[in-house]
Amino acid sequence: MTVFLKREVARRVFAKELMSSTYTLRDDSEKSPLYVLTPLGLKCNRVFIIGVLTEKEERGEDGNIYRIRIVDQTGSFIGYVGKYQPEAYEALEDIDTLTLVALTAKVRVFEGDTRKFVTLRPETISIADPESRDYWVIETAIQTLERIREMEKGESETAKLAMEIYNPDLEEYKRAVKEAVERMMEDYGELEVEEEILEGEEEEEEFEFDEEDISFEEEEIDLTELLED
Amino acid sequence: MNRVEKLAEQIFEEYKDYGVDKKEIIEKLKKLLVEFRVPENEALRTIRNYIIREYGAPATIRRERITKIEEIREPNRWVTVKAKVIQLWESSSPSIAQVGLIGDETGHIRFLVWTKAKKQPVEEGKSYIFRNVVVDDFGGVLRLNVTKISEIEEIGEDVEVKPPEDVSEEVEVVGALVAIQQNSGLIQRCGVEGCSRVIKMGKCPEHGKTQPKDDLRIKGVLDDGYRTYEVIINEDGVKALTGIDLEKAKKIAGETLDRNAVLIELKKMLLGKYLRVVGTATPRYLVARHVEFFRPDIRKEVEKVRALMEEI
Repeated sequence: MTVFLKREVARRVFAKELMSSTYTLRDDSEKSPLYVLTPLGLKCNRVFIIGVLTEKEERGEDGNIYRIRIVDQTGSFIGYVGKYQPEAYEALEDIDTLTLVALTAKVRVFEGDTRKFVTLRPETISIADPESRDYWVIETAIQTLERIREMEKGESETAKLAMEIYNPDLEEYKRAVKEAVERMMEDYGELEVEEEILEGEEEEEEFEFDEEDISFEEEEIDLTELLED
Repeated sequence: MNRVEKLAEQIFEEYKDYGVDKKEIIEKLKKLLVEFRVPENEALRTIRNYIIREYGAPATIRRERITKIEEIREPNRWVTVKAKVIQLWESSSPSIAQVGLIGDETGHIRFLVWTKAKKQPVEEGKSYIFRNVVVDDFGGVLRLNVTKISEIEEIGEDVEVKPPEDVSEEVEVVGALVAIQQNSGLIQRCGVEGCSRVIKMGKCPEHGKTQPKDDLRIKGVLDDGYRTYEVIINEDGVKALTGIDLEKAKKIAGETLDRNAVLIELKKMLLGKYLRVVGTATPRYLVARHVEFFRPDIRKEVEKVRALMEEI
């Protein structure tokens, strides 16, 4: 008899939200995978992302691991692709930086010396088109706003937990979503949003990746750990 | 009894009290259906009107021909159905007043009420007769359209609805193709008549070594961020998306001496792409009947974000 394993949904989440996560949890069930709890109360173990591949560096002893950075409208994701993920690894070999890519990835959390940080372990990676990226931004904006709404209600277990752990500034997340969407809509020549875009640019600094936040990259971490499932 | 006789019998039953002649009905029906190839409902209407005129039968006796939902199989038909409103969905356009799902004891179908039809809104859980609604095909999904000339009559009766688990449900899904499984691409099926199981390691799990037949398909995972669907796309679907059909797939495999080359090519073209799939959902699989790259109208989609933004 075939056992039907429930596949984890690939969540839609912006870099700002996912990369600010530090807390992990499991379900009650014995076989529960490890989930990351985001500041907006999303429990996730897999994500689907469309963004720009901005860095691709060979790492590891034999250079058999790629460290990649994917930038979206709110920040950037860091991922490691090793030969143990042959599909993603082989696909990545043929993709240059500054290319729009779509990836499905497992979410991993590592403990650095000073803090925990999130990285991605891509399962698939492929070249994406701008239209799909735009739709991804919209999907992700909608799903993020839905999470903000749940946080405001504060009824669900994960929302309560996220509030307790992160006490996030919901207004800031709303602004980030708005900015992400409005910036993308510039390509569609919407005149009425011009003012908002200007506002957004002023605020942009706030959403630049804080150097301190990514200092963990300089920490020596055991890369082999990344390859374990 | 052939179809003509059956229909004639039906009409005769309705009007036998008015002295109608069954033979005459059969003759006329035959002429309309067999000789003139008139659609059935038109033929019936013609006969009924004839009887009303010639025999002075009251028009009100006209019993409606209620179509069962499972009988609705093709677009451009005008039908009358008796059904319960199972679900109402949010209308995506100001020109559509209501949209949702209705059902009777034989099945479910989507319906929509055009704003221009100016109808009283229907309510979930109530039963109605939807008269003179026209069937259309919206990207592979059949829908009932309530237009200006349609009628919606609420009825006291509670129409029994086929339970959802008995229905292999027609669904439309937009999602990202996040995985393509290994047993996709150019595959082999068991050659035994009526078997068609996929050959694994050179053997059919049922019949062992047989003369295999080639096939092209994709088994993958469609994911919309809320749930996943295990989707099966057959040769037609693969061809519609990639231009690769079975012949071309065989050629690729022949040229590279590698059947797996087809799968690699398909992955390159399809992984991470948003697809719109219309098909039949069973508890396990979504079997695609129609599949295309999803082309969003970003200006329209962004309105959803703005609406949500207002709300919170």
